[in-house]
Amino acid sequence: MISCGIRGDSLPANRPGMSEPAANLPLTPRYTSLSAHVVSFCRFLRQNGFPLGPAEESLALQALSQLTAFRQPEAFRLCLRATLARSKTQQQRFDVLFPQYFKELENAVDAKTKTKSQGGDPKQKQQKAPTLQALKSWLYGQNSPEDEVALAGYSAQEATHQKDFANFTDDELREVWGLVQQIARTLALQLSRRWEHTHHNLRLDLRRTIRRNLRRGGELLELAHRRPKRHRQQLLVLCDVSKSMDLYSQFLLQFSYAFQQAYRRIETFTFSTDLQRITPLLRGRDFRAALEGLQQQQGGWSGGTRIGASLASLCQHYRRLLTRQTIVIILSDGMDTGEIETLSTSMQTIHRRAGRVIWLNPLAGRPGYTPSTRGMEAALPYIDVFAAAHNVESLRRLARYLANHPRSTSPVPGGPGHNIPA
Amino acid sequence: MLEHPALANIRDLLANQGYISEPGIVMSIFLAMELQKPLLIEGPAGVGKTEIAKVMAKALDTDLIRLQCYEGLDSTHALYEWNYQQQLLYLKMEEGTSKSLAEKEQHLFHERFLMKRPLLQAITHAQAPVLLIDEVDRADEEFESFLLEVLSDWQITIPEIGTIQATHIPRVIITSNRVRELSEALRRRCLYLWIDYPDFAKELQIVRNRVPGIDAQLGEQICRFMQEVRQMRLEKVPGVAETLDWATALANLHFDHLDKDIVEATLGVVLKDWQDVRQVQLSLSELLEKTGVQAKWDE
Repeated sequence: MISCGIRGDSLPANRPGMSEPAANLPLTPRYTSLSAHVVSFCRFLRQNGFPLGPAEESLALQALSQLTAFRQPEAFRLCLRATLARSKTQQQRFDVLFPQYFKELENAVDAKTKTKSQGGDPKQKQQKAPTLQALKSWLYGQNSPEDEVALAGYSAQEATHQKDFANFTDDELREVWGLVQQIARTLALQLSRRWEHTHHNLRLDLRRTIRRNLRRGGELLELAHRRPKRHRQQLLVLCDVSKSMDLYSQFLLQFSYAFQQAYRRIETFTFSTDLQRITPLLRGRDFRAALEGLQQQQGGWSGGTRIGASLASLCQHYRRLLTRQTIVIILSDGMDTGEIETLSTSMQTIHRRAGRVIWLNPLAGRPGYTPSTRGMEAALPYIDVFAAAHNVESLRRLARYLANHPRSTSPVPGGPGHNIPA
Repeated sequence: MLEHPALANIRDLLANQGYISEPGIVMSIFLAMELQKPLLIEGPAGVGKTEIAKVMAKALDTDLIRLQCYEGLDSTHALYEWNYQQQLLYLKMEEGTSKSLAEKEQHLFHERFLMKRPLLQAITHAQAPVLLIDEVDRADEEFESFLLEVLSDWQITIPEIGTIQATHIPRVIITSNRVRELSEALRRRCLYLWIDYPDFAKELQIVRNRVPGIDAQLGEQICRFMQEVRQMRLEKVPGVAETLDWATALANLHFDHLDKDIVEATLGVVLKDWQDVRQVQLSLSELLEKTGVQAKWDE
C-alpha cells in the first residue's frame, strides 16, 4: 500500500495501474500545495468511479494555471468540473463529491493546526487522528459501513435477494453460452454491414471506378458499384428480472451480452419494480464479471413486477432511444402487479414511436397457452410480434427473424400457436 | 460572481451577441479556447447548444463552419471528396498527349480536383474558424473514429496526396442530443458541458433580450407558464426556442397578459405533439392558476 498525504512532498511518485505520462506532454509542475490537492482530489474521484488518468490531471492543472491569481472557490470548482466530469451523470456525482472532499480536507487541516498551536497534548492528538484517518480511507475508497448504507440507498419495499447466478452447472452453462454466443454473433455480423450487394438501384463507386480504369487511359470499361445499407437497426432489449422470470431473463441477458460484444447498436434494460439501464455493464469483457456487477447494482432484483411503471419510466427518460429504427424486444410473462392502465398507455407510446415491438413470453412455449393475464391482454394490441422464448431454439428463431425481416412486420416463423401477429 | 477579467471578458462577448450565459458555460468556453480543446455540449433540445457556436464565431469575428451529422455520414461528406466529373474531363483532354501514366496520375490527384468538406475546410482555413459538429450522436460510431483522428492530431490523411496539417487549430464545438451514448474516447478528447433548461430568472432575461418590445407582465407569465409546463410528463418538452417563438407571436399580437383563450389558441407554437397538447389542455386551468397566482404574488 502506498502512503498518501495531502502535502505535495509526500505524494507517491508512482500510482498502480497508471502509465507515466508521455514525455512530451507539457505537465504543470506539481510542487505547489494546490497542485497536490488537485492530484489527490483526482485520486478521490477515481476511487469513486471516475475514469481519470494522468492526462486528465495535467489538463485540470493546466486549466487552473490559465486562471492565475484567482481567489474564488466557485471558479476553482467550475474549472475542475469542466475538466474532470465528462457526462451529465459524472457532473452530478461531481457536485456531490466536491464539497464532500474539501469539507473533509478542511477538517483535517483544522485538526493539524490545532495540535500545532497547543503543543502536542496527547489527548488532542488522539482526537485528530480519526479525522485524518477518515480522509485517508476516503481517498482509498474504503468507506465506513455507515457510508455504504447511505450510498446504496435501497428502498425498504424493494426486496433485495442476493441471487447467485452460478446456479447453472458449469457444463450446462458452457453449452448454452456457446450456442447463445454463436447466434448473437451471426446476427450482429449480418446487421452491422454498412454496404450491401444489389442487383438494382446501382450506385457507382466512382472513386474506385476511376482508379481501376486509369490504366486504360481513362476509358471507363469496368464499373464498381455499391449501395449504402438502409438505416441500420437499433435493438432495445427490456428484460423482466422479477422472481417469476429470472431463469429466462438469464438467457436473454446472455444473448444481449454476446450481441453487444459484436454490435454496438443495442441498449439493454432490466426491470422488476424499477427500470435499470445495464448497457455499460454488458460492455465489459467478462460475462461473469458483468453478472456480478448486475447483482450488485440491482436494487430490487427478483422482487415484484411493475411492468407498466417501468415502461413508463423508459418512455420518459429514454425517449430518445425510441425511433423508427428501433426494434424493442420485451421479455416478460406479463404478470404485472402494478396499474394496468399505465402499462397500456406506455405500450401505446412505445408502439407508436418504435419501429417494431417484439414481446417474448417464456410461457408461450407451453402447449395450450393463451395470453390471458391482465397485463398481457392490455399489452397485446400494441405488439407486432408475440413469440415464445423458453429455450435456445426460440432464441435462434428470434435471431433468424431479426436477420431476415429487418423491416416487415411478419411473425416469427415457428410452430403454430407460438406467434400471434397483431 | 466570476470576477476574473478573462472570464468577465467572455461573458461580455457573449452578452454583446445577445447570449445570456451562466458561470458554468463561461468557464467551459474559456477553458476550451485556452486549452485548445473541443467542447462537447449536451442537453435537451432547444436550450441553445448550437447557438453557442454561432455566438462564438460572431464574437471572435471569424467564420463558422458547420458539419451537420446524420446517420450514414461518411468521410466523403465530412472530410473530402474527389471531383470525379472534372477528373474524367481531364483524362479525356489528356488522351492525345504523350504524358506518362505517373505524370497523369500526379495531375489527376491534384488539389484542384479536391472538394473540401467541413472538417478539411476547418483545418485549412486562413483564420482559425469555429467548427460546429452538430448532433454528433446521429452519426454512426464509425464516424467518431475518423473524427478522433482529426481532433487529436489536427491532420487529415489523403492517400493520393499525403497528410494535410492544420494551418490553424479551429475552435471546435460538438453538440449531442444523447440519441446514443458517445464513445469514451471522444469524451476524453473534449471538455464537457451540460446545459439544462434555464430557470425562471434566466429565461425571463432571455425573453426580454430577444423580444425587446414585450410587455413586462406578459413576459413573466409566459416564462412562469413554460416553467410549469416543463414539470409535466410530456412527450416533447418545449425548449427556449419555443418560449421565444411564443413570446414573439404574442408580442406581435400586442397582448399584455395571458388568459385561457389566448393560450388555447396559440398552444401549437409551444407544443408539437398532439398527445402533449391534449394533456396540457386538460390541466390548463390548474396550470394558469399556478402561473397567475405566482405572478400576483410577485407584484
